Amino acid sequence: MSVFGDYLAAVIHRAQLEASDAGSAKVEAPHLLLAIAAQTEPSIDPLLEEFGLDVAAVRAALDREYEHSLNTVGVTTAAYDLPRPTRLPTRPGIGRSAKLAMERGFGAVTKKKGLRPAHLLLGVVCAEVGTVPRALALAGVDREAVLARLRQAIDTPTM
Amino acid sequence: MSEPTPAIPPDPADSLAAVAALRRLADELEDAAVEQAMRSGWGWPRVAEALGITRQAVYKKHSRRLIAAGVELRRRES
Repeated sequence: MSVFGDYLAAVIHRAQLEASDAGSAKVEAPHLLLAIAAQTEPSIDPLLEEFGLDVAAVRAALDREYEHSLNTVGVTTAAYDLPRPTRLPTRPGIGRSAKLAMERGFGAVTKKKGLRPAHLLLGVVCAEVGTVPRALALAGVDREAVLARLRQAIDTPTM
Repeated sequence: MSEPTPAIPPDPADSLAAVAALRRLADELEDAAVEQAMRSGWGWPRVAEALGITRQAVYKKHSRRLIAAGVELRRRES
């Protein structure tokens, strides 16, 4: 498998664990973002660090978005304590928002060989609606600045 | 005096995000409630009727998870 193939497999595996832990039957874009933040990858780690996107910060931002979205219609999770869901014994499949993120991220590349970790992150971050952009906005992350830096990184030829 | 009814959020992005969040909350609550019912000895037909969905739907959605969790599943209640 290619270097990018190995990276993608590792991210999807981690995203499946995140989805499974959350009791979700599908891997969605927020799980991909958590997995990208958790995966050590020298080509994007400095960028993630620059914008404060470590796994704990991403998780906190996603939790905040969930609570905030419920609050807009007068619901709160703080009102009662739900038990942790029992994990599904099967690996979650890839959900709609995660598929869309991959299509968007990989779509700009004409040759499969040109794929890099930055493309996957670009695909996740470029969504204009949904949980990820809302979570980033609530966390004070400048999504446009992240995108600009990612595009710059993608346009810079590698060795 | 009664409190005024809150309006739907003015930004459609907020309203739609609330729908997504409520679905997630309902799914989490359903997982917990079905597990609680089956551990208490309820059968699939009763759980399905209480949720207002078919037996097949509730079985398909929850059986694998509950079997993995070691819950004794009953077709009928004794």
